[in-house]
Amino acid sequence: MSATPTVPKRLPTDWKSDAMRKRIARRYAAERRFKLAGLLAVGLSAAFLAFLLFSMLGNGLRGFTRTEIAVQVDFPASPLLLDPNAITDQALANANLPMVTGAVVKKALGADAEEWVSPTAWTVLRDRIKADPRILGRIETIKLPASTAIDLAAKSQGSPDAEAAVNRLSKARLISTGFNWGFLTLSDGTDPTQVGIWGAFKGTLLTMLVTLALSFPVGVATAVYLEEYARKNWMTDVIEVSINNLAAVPSIIFGLLGLSIFLNVLHLPRSASLVGGMTLALMTMPVIVIAGRNAIKSVPPSIRDAALGVGASPVQVVFHHVLPLALPGILTGTIIGMARALGETAPLLMIGMRAFIATPPGGITDPATVLPVQIFLWSDEVSKGFVEKTSAAIIVLLVFLLAMNGLAIYLRNKFERRW
Amino acid sequence: MTAMIHEQHNMTPTVETKMTARDVKVFYGEKQAIKGVSIDVDMDNVTAFIGPSGCGKSTFLRTLNRMNDTVASARVEGTITLDGEDIYAPSMDVVQLRARVGMVFQKPNPFPKSIYENIAYGPRIHGLAHGKADLEVIVEKSLRRAGLWDEVKDRLHDSGTALSGGQQQRLCIGRAIAVEPEVILMDEPCSALDPIATAKIEELIHELRGRYAIVIVTHNMQQAARVSQRTAFFHLGELVEYGVTSDIFTNPRQERTKDYITGRYG
Repeated sequence: MSATPTVPKRLPTDWKSDAMRKRIARRYAAERRFKLAGLLAVGLSAAFLAFLLFSMLGNGLRGFTRTEIAVQVDFPASPLLLDPNAITDQALANANLPMVTGAVVKKALGADAEEWVSPTAWTVLRDRIKADPRILGRIETIKLPASTAIDLAAKSQGSPDAEAAVNRLSKARLISTGFNWGFLTLSDGTDPTQVGIWGAFKGTLLTMLVTLALSFPVGVATAVYLEEYARKNWMTDVIEVSINNLAAVPSIIFGLLGLSIFLNVLHLPRSASLVGGMTLALMTMPVIVIAGRNAIKSVPPSIRDAALGVGASPVQVVFHHVLPLALPGILTGTIIGMARALGETAPLLMIGMRAFIATPPGGITDPATVLPVQIFLWSDEVSKGFVEKTSAAIIVLLVFLLAMNGLAIYLRNKFERRW
Repeated sequence: MTAMIHEQHNMTPTVETKMTARDVKVFYGEKQAIKGVSIDVDMDNVTAFIGPSGCGKSTFLRTLNRMNDTVASARVEGTITLDGEDIYAPSMDVVQLRARVGMVFQKPNPFPKSIYENIAYGPRIHGLAHGKADLEVIVEKSLRRAGLWDEVKDRLHDSGTALSGGQQQRLCIGRAIAVEPEVILMDEPCSALDPIATAKIEELIHELRGRYAIVIVTHNMQQAARVSQRTAFFHLGELVEYGVTSDIFTNPRQERTKDYITGRYG
């Protein structure tokens, strides 16, 4: 019908030609450039991380130590009017211990020494007397916490006056530095030498528990329903878009929602972990739903077929086969959501968790604060002593975060199975 | 024992019909995949469905235990009965139906659990075992029947997915057997297996014949000839010809059947 088309004859390829050589060189160059760019990116992020860690550790580690001054307390000669046989809380409260402490410090170290010890140093005396009333008949050397000025000077950040005092004290071997257990066991306060992270830490734990208890079951149930039961129609599309949107809503808006619904409509207690947890659960749930749906989607259909084929009901298929296989993915998503909730400050400010709370919460309805809010509050304080406390609190938060992520990796590896 | 029953049935020409399909049509949305198929499956013969890819043989097989229910767009018309009972009737419980009509899939799909758990799962959810000892008996019996016991008896608690492909498929057959089904549907059970594993499965099908009504979909015409006594040839959603296997292969009545089995297309 038609003439056979004439095919132009191809020349044999010369693999050794200059053009070919250049092409190879260009290819290698491109490869090297790409590798270099990748290395740069990794190096840059590692450098930022290292900078963050070093500056945090540099400032923060000092927050875990405190300076103590050894004071010789001559109890019999002190203006203390206490009967060793009738030590009660009431008696101790009436004994005007702050004044007594000032007096014994002055007597032991000199007239200007009252400024050197912490304004709350008297609590140490109180606790010692309470522990052993017989101390009242003896002369005892007691280590009292130093004031902020002395503490900073001992960490070589203080004023000239304080530095001089520290020099005098260290020559007399009266000053020492020890681990600040109080930082891990106390709560917020006004004196930076006497503040601790425990209240905020416990508040964080309670809030996270509430968040997990609400968002995990609801999130997983939603994911399972949407993937396994819901008919695919415009309604599920709308729900899917809404959930994706919800995951991207700025957190402050969830705070306002919590304020107007949980506090103003439901009249739940203000500043409580319960409300904080509920608000954060709203934020975390969409993340769990999205991660859960992806994890459920990635379970091979052959497993569902197999289970249905031996006569498992849809619920049995989900609970015996799909969920166990999807669990690593669901857990990873949950921990990512929880880690985000752990670092949230804005929504919690809205529901009153920025209040000054000096006692650790006893339950989820007690007023509480959380670590990031505590950091925010301390960073706002005027007293210089709070700088290192802020950094130390950040270290505690980062360690908490690290522990959570470590748990996530452990759980994922534990539950990961091959099929 | 099996052989005796078999001989008796050979003497009496009437065989026990297990499942019947009458004018079955399957639609996927607008598209019609099965165009009015009527067929009887009996207890004592292995029935093979053959035909080119996309002819609807697998689709039809999946209507027999309502696995098509899981496909949202699928719609089934016509009647299919199991022991005279309409399996698409509202009174039919689909979970129980799938226990009575078991299925083995194209790709071996053991649960990612131990061998023991794979077999024990079905009896457990249907409450077929009375106590742990009874369950162990069921597991052993099922694995023996699936021809796998001697290979796995020392490692029942190893993962089922660690077995070879052929062993996995026999495990899946054992899993189907464990719930004592009346019918076993096999959807190209050997297509992912090597010839030796295939031979073992075929041998197993021979042994299971008579105890269960077996329907097997296969691409492989030699396999159909080897394992089945009845063969149905599907083409473009229609049942072209259904009869005794030897007749279909040696003396097909329809032109299309003849073209297919002589390799003209497919």
